[in-house]
Amino acid sequence: MTELIFQAIYSGLLQGGSYALIALGLALVFGTMKVINLAHGELVLLAAYIAYAVESAFNVSPIVAIPVALVVVCISALLVYLLVDRIKKDRELNSLILTYGIGVMITNAILLIWKADIRSTKSAWLQDAVVLGPFYSMRSELGFFILSLVLMGLLWWWLSKSWYGRAVRAVASNRDAAKLMGINPRTTEIVSFVVAGILAAFAGVALYSYGVIQPPLGHALTVKAFIITVLAGVGSIPGVLAGALLLGVVEALTVTLLSSALQEIAGMGLFLLVLFVMPNGLFGTAARRG
Amino acid sequence: MLQLENVTVRFGGVTAVDNLTLSIGASEVTGLVGPNGAGKTTLFNAISGLVRPGAGRIVFNAVDVLNAPVYRRARLGLGRTFQVPQPLSRLTVRENLLVAQRFGTGSVNASRLDEILDFVGLTEKAGRDASSELALSELKALEVGKALATNPKLLLLDEVLAGLETTGKRRFMQMLKDMHAKFGVGILIIEHDIETISNLCKRVVVLNFGELIADGAPDEVFRDAEVIKSYTGAEHA
Repeated sequence: MTELIFQAIYSGLLQGGSYALIALGLALVFGTMKVINLAHGELVLLAAYIAYAVESAFNVSPIVAIPVALVVVCISALLVYLLVDRIKKDRELNSLILTYGIGVMITNAILLIWKADIRSTKSAWLQDAVVLGPFYSMRSELGFFILSLVLMGLLWWWLSKSWYGRAVRAVASNRDAAKLMGINPRTTEIVSFVVAGILAAFAGVALYSYGVIQPPLGHALTVKAFIITVLAGVGSIPGVLAGALLLGVVEALTVTLLSSALQEIAGMGLFLLVLFVMPNGLFGTAARRG
Repeated sequence: MLQLENVTVRFGGVTAVDNLTLSIGASEVTGLVGPNGAGKTTLFNAISGLVRPGAGRIVFNAVDVLNAPVYRRARLGLGRTFQVPQPLSRLTVRENLLVAQRFGTGSVNASRLDEILDFVGLTEKAGRDASSELALSELKALEVGKALATNPKLLLLDEVLAGLETTGKRRFMQMLKDMHAKFGVGILIIEHDIETISNLCKRVVVLNFGELIADGAPDEVFRDAEVIKSYTGAEHA
């Protein structure tokens, strides 16, 4: 039993890597634009289906689809931005309705093109077992987890050291103050949508490479990203990573010890627990002194 | 340097700035005073671009900036501070200034940045988190430092001395005087304390209900019957 629990924790941690990429994209867009992009999970799902389409059409590894997924998802993210940007009044609220609608449209487009069947990769190489001491995982799980950590490291570097990254942080911190420093907030908004698209593309290909995909998954991914963002508190990359790993572990333990039917409810339970007990999130800080 | 022509700002049925015409010369230090609700901060918002006037014209350094976004006005040399300091959280003090310099001027000049940090007295706090590790007087100094880093030609200071204790206020006032001399920047300052304004400015502009009611040297303006009435609600005895 103990072995089973440790194995579940290990699998949950690996799953958390992809969750972190999805949540960081959502948090980045929310930071700069104060918009919760409810179509973000569908963008991830789009990348997953592109991986499926490329694999099916050319009989190649889904990993080959990463450049295609990057282009398609980034363009889609920019289109979402252009539509959201057209909302001039009560953008925070109206964008919820708009992005929810975009998410529904993407899901239906996926249904039309790729049907409702459950899909998973045919690549035996990606599904081969990798043994790490007492722990087992698929090669793709471990590989994409490492890639997630690398991408998060790059994102941290970009936000901390590059000028556009600093501008994104400045706008997220205080929009008016940033504008008075000469920062064009539109540029940072576009940049954050593109970066969110890049992260979504990698996460989507990852999900297809070690899991199963189906059209309704996008909505569930958005909810997971939202839960992680709340768990993390006011966004920091380590906070989001920890929140994502925690969600992954809770889900995996629920599936192992209780039932796979309770997986989504477990995440929601964690979300409510943190919301009631630690409203600033696990890593958030209380409002700053006046 | 700054010309406002018939500028009007309305919020619904309330006219916050009413047909205001005003000119501020290069390197002047001008006080902007008036009772609460006179439209001072709204005027600052209109000049810096945070509020769009319903009518009028705003020309800065020979450029019509009425329709220019805030960031473009900042790059043209219009600096502004807020009454409640607005540091960029999760960025250090130095990063706050660095970002302001890079985006405000288009380049980075490390020695100039050090000079500004030293001038506002934040050299020792340069590595600290700007949002959680500074006292109020330091946050106010950072606010001025950020604005200076954009290399402004005109700096709009919104009650920058408010909330400071007497010694801090004196020190800050000296800093503003030195800033004008050292950086050659024009200053338009909102301040309630008449003594401060008289000490700092050679010219004072008074607003009441969004209208310009006096403009001149502090000694003359603060003896003006209409100005006294606007503050006290009564004729001067």
